[in-house]
Amino acid sequence: MNTLPETYRRPLFPRGPGLGLKTILLIVVSLVLIFNDTRGPGLQPVRSALSVVLSPLIWLASMPSDMLNAAGDIATRETLERENRELKESQLLLEARLQKFQALEAENRRIRELLASAARIDDEVLIAEIIAINQDPYRSQITLNKGERDGVYAGQALVDAHGVLGQITRVGRTRSQALLIIDPDHGIPVEINRTGMQTIAVGGGTERGLRLPFLASNADIQVGDLLVSSSLGGRFPAGYPVGTVYDVRHVAGEHFMEAYASPAAHMNQGRQALLVWSENQRSSDGNVEVDDKPAETDPDAETPAAAGTAP
Amino acid sequence: MITTRGLYLGFTLSLLLALIFSLLELPDLLAAARPMWVPLMLAYWALREPRLSALFPAFMLGIALDVMFATPLGQHAMGLVILVYLVERLRGIFILFPLWQATFALIPAWALYSFLMFWIDGASQHQAFSWLRWLPVVSTTLFWPLLFSVMELMHQQLDDE
Repeated sequence: MNTLPETYRRPLFPRGPGLGLKTILLIVVSLVLIFNDTRGPGLQPVRSALSVVLSPLIWLASMPSDMLNAAGDIATRETLERENRELKESQLLLEARLQKFQALEAENRRIRELLASAARIDDEVLIAEIIAINQDPYRSQITLNKGERDGVYAGQALVDAHGVLGQITRVGRTRSQALLIIDPDHGIPVEINRTGMQTIAVGGGTERGLRLPFLASNADIQVGDLLVSSSLGGRFPAGYPVGTVYDVRHVAGEHFMEAYASPAAHMNQGRQALLVWSENQRSSDGNVEVDDKPAETDPDAETPAAAGTAP
Repeated sequence: MITTRGLYLGFTLSLLLALIFSLLELPDLLAAARPMWVPLMLAYWALREPRLSALFPAFMLGIALDVMFATPLGQHAMGLVILVYLVERLRGIFILFPLWQATFALIPAWALYSFLMFWIDGASQHQAFSWLRWLPVVSTTLFWPLLFSVMELMHQQLDDE
């Protein structure tokens, strides 16, 4: 044991409690914080206050990539012309497709009226910009620049141009945090488009995409099947693509089989996302806030489906 | 008098820099191998500077990391406090080692920190196990000699003032 540091420290700075005692105290405080934070929403205000205090640091850290993005935005005339041409072509294509959809939508509405069902077909959407991505590689979360002020609520579905992206978990005044569907904490009710079978897709992390656990061993599911969101649970609007099955696995000796799917939405690529108001949220327009309180007060319970199937 | 003030300034600035480094956006592959900047910097100060205790700053930084990474409040705080305690406790031994030996001697500390993070994640039902989780231990070990040398240069300039 080397006692050199002790000898010249003590006369200079007479300390209060010793190192070990302070450490134990701080560990106990941390444990209490962890326990409270995982069990309930009590620390939510502390967290949002701290994130406001820390926002300059986050801004500083995002400067280099913002600058790179800005440099990428400088475009030459040719690229602009090419982009313009491409956009015009794709718009023509989409418009042609839309005409067909309009006819289909009208037909669908008539048929629904025959069934006396009140389901709406077009959902209300709002474009939000992705302003930050969680830098922890094992958590798939993004921050959006829309918050309570724009009517965003916890549990709201988030889609991009290709499919379901995730859902809002925390709402601040002007920004909100969303959990992506590939996060291991996330579960989404899905329907297999080909057969109409309902199941649940749990996040499998960045490398595996989505996992469909506990499928009956004779379930009709194949590689290439499209998964679309189902409105079971009332959280996601029905019919948006969620992913494509790329692997179906029978585990020897198990009663269930598992399937893996790659997400349809482009995770961590775009800079914009669409917030979707699903049917039952807008029908009670005035008391959206009131409806959300239970969801907001328990951030861990926002995927009831996933909680139900967690092994 | 001036040296003390310079010391505190250097301490605060270097820790803020470490915090920013751990927030910089990196491509996915590199992000998994990002060295643990905050533990690195805290371990340096705990090892090199007996005049100030890094214990409470470690706790505050941990809370800041928890807010930024949306982990349960207290997760990083606990890991950092334990790391700083170990390094301060064993300072007498570590300081005798030449740099390359200290680099190896600190591997268990980084591994312990990574394990704590993984363990609390598991306890709070965030299951994301992957072998890539241990990659930062390697990168942190590789960055220790670099960080130590650079910080040592700055430290000497502070002391000369």
